[in-house]
Amino acid sequence: MRRKLRIYLPFALNEMKRQMSYKGAFYLFILISTFSSFVSYFLWMAIYGSTDRVMLGGLTKEEMVVYIFMVYVTGSIVSISISDWVSDDVVKGTVAMNLIKPLDYRLSLISRALGCSVYNFFVPSVFIWIGLEIYKVNVLGMPVTGVWNVVLYIISCIMSFLIFVLFDFCVGMIAFFTNYIFGLLMVKEALLKFLTGALIPLSFFPEGVRRVFDFLPFSSMVYTPVMLYLGKYSMAELEFVLARQAIWVVLLYLLGSLIWKRVTTRLVVLGG
Amino acid sequence: MIEVRHVSKEFVSPKKYPGLKGAIKGLFSTEKVVKKAVEDISFTIQDGEIVGYIGSNGAGKSTTIKMMTGIMRPTSGECIVNGINPSAQRKKNAQEIGVVFGQRTQLWWDLPLSESFTILKEIYNVSDKDYTERMKFLNQVLQLDDFFDRPVRTLSLGQRMRADLGAALLHNPRVLYLDEPTIGLDLVVKDNIRAAIKEINEKYQTTVILTTHDIGDIEELCSRIIIIDEGKKIYDGSLEELKDTYGTRRTVSMEIKSPKEIVELDLPGKLGVTEQTCKVAFDEERKVLSVSFDKHKVQVPQVLGAVMELTEVSDIQIQETQLAEIVKEIYNHGLNQADS
Repeated sequence: MRRKLRIYLPFALNEMKRQMSYKGAFYLFILISTFSSFVSYFLWMAIYGSTDRVMLGGLTKEEMVVYIFMVYVTGSIVSISISDWVSDDVVKGTVAMNLIKPLDYRLSLISRALGCSVYNFFVPSVFIWIGLEIYKVNVLGMPVTGVWNVVLYIISCIMSFLIFVLFDFCVGMIAFFTNYIFGLLMVKEALLKFLTGALIPLSFFPEGVRRVFDFLPFSSMVYTPVMLYLGKYSMAELEFVLARQAIWVVLLYLLGSLIWKRVTTRLVVLGG
Repeated sequence: MIEVRHVSKEFVSPKKYPGLKGAIKGLFSTEKVVKKAVEDISFTIQDGEIVGYIGSNGAGKSTTIKMMTGIMRPTSGECIVNGINPSAQRKKNAQEIGVVFGQRTQLWWDLPLSESFTILKEIYNVSDKDYTERMKFLNQVLQLDDFFDRPVRTLSLGQRMRADLGAALLHNPRVLYLDEPTIGLDLVVKDNIRAAIKEINEKYQTTVILTTHDIGDIEELCSRIIIIDEGKKIYDGSLEELKDTYGTRRTVSMEIKSPKEIVELDLPGKLGVTEQTCKVAFDEERKVLSVSFDKHKVQVPQVLGAVMELTEVSDIQIQETQLAEIVKEIYNHGLNQADS
């Protein structure tokens, strides 16, 4: 275990250093992604303003503000798109350089994703999070989020991260069969926005649809930790959603191993 | 010891049709095109050998290397490298081999070179003592010190190649695969790389398999060469043997005083051979007469005698066929025609 850490930790550190060397692109990315958070903020405020009901989809107006920005925070540390890297590795043939070393390809990708995630947490998510808490207490007049909820949120986020990268690894594997998955990645991006609850809280969907979502891993990626943070689950539900996350981690891990085994039997490394 | 047994590799790709109409047709067609990159290749390489694996572009060299390193699985047949089947036990095999793909780097692009080496030390589980000792050796043969602290992306091609070679050798692999290690390098760096490969082979008895387009690499390093063409092995043997069997032509160039008589000389007729076996060319400007002939049928003194009877010769040069010429012949026509 310690040896594994020594081998794969440099991948995470390297990714952080790499992120810092592409500052321009990153700040632009922050601007654009927070921009979309503000768009949905104003949209939701208009919706709440035009109705007499206090709660929509089980969320008050104030909770919705927290929801919108916590989705941003959660997304930035959970959704690290490793399938982009896989696709790059396949198209350029650089996957070979990974395979000639006694390394686990998936673990090295996840380590890189971890570096990326930690970096995203400090730049800028943690500041948005703190800012949100201050705004929440001073402007919205809500109490400070309890330690218990924060702890649950962090535990849930760690599992969300694993679910996301393990799932994304499987998506990336498609590149080995088709050689090119750019279009597919765009589709994935759009679908995930919808299915994870990043766009609209899943509680807004009709009962039947929500049942289906319960059986998919996507709600465990963003929706679950954010709702935990908001303290929206009862004790029984809480155990259920956390257990569901843990099960998805195991299932997606096994699925990924299975696909990888198949991929290595028919791997084609492009380029001379 | 490396054993390659009846290895073949086929690539299957969807059939493409020309034009826009073809592109649309391609969407609905399930026709596949099978391309055989490597066809039934077998050879055995002993420990400590340096083997040149050569062939024209697209002959299947890199594909074979990729199968031997375990990153691609053969369609049929198998490779056994030191008792391990690389495609079944990739990670175990990877621990024992070093690979340099000349056109790619295995170093961490954005990090200083020193960090790449520290990471590799962990990956291959090299002990501190071995690391210090080996770095000393690598520094001595590859001069990594000059740029050890610079990010890899700022290195020149020659420096990067030296660094890559060093990185492939850090864990003292038993087998070293070099896929065009001297591509794009200047003469001095090429010499350094070759010297380093030689020294490593001598010191650690590392088996080296080398693909290259540089004849110099082969002449200086390889005791044995394997030539493949269109996926098939067409030659496997020592360099001398290849030269002996296929490099049968010899060229004698003579600078002569009075060209007039020479123009009328019928050298093949005089020596009793066909014009095919003995070709005569005369360069008027430089007054150089070159005679190229089959060394098994005509002797040098015969040629000299015949010419010197007629005129005075001021300078003589004798050339064996260059390896490059032989290899070019083979690439162009295949082995069978090369000796005619």
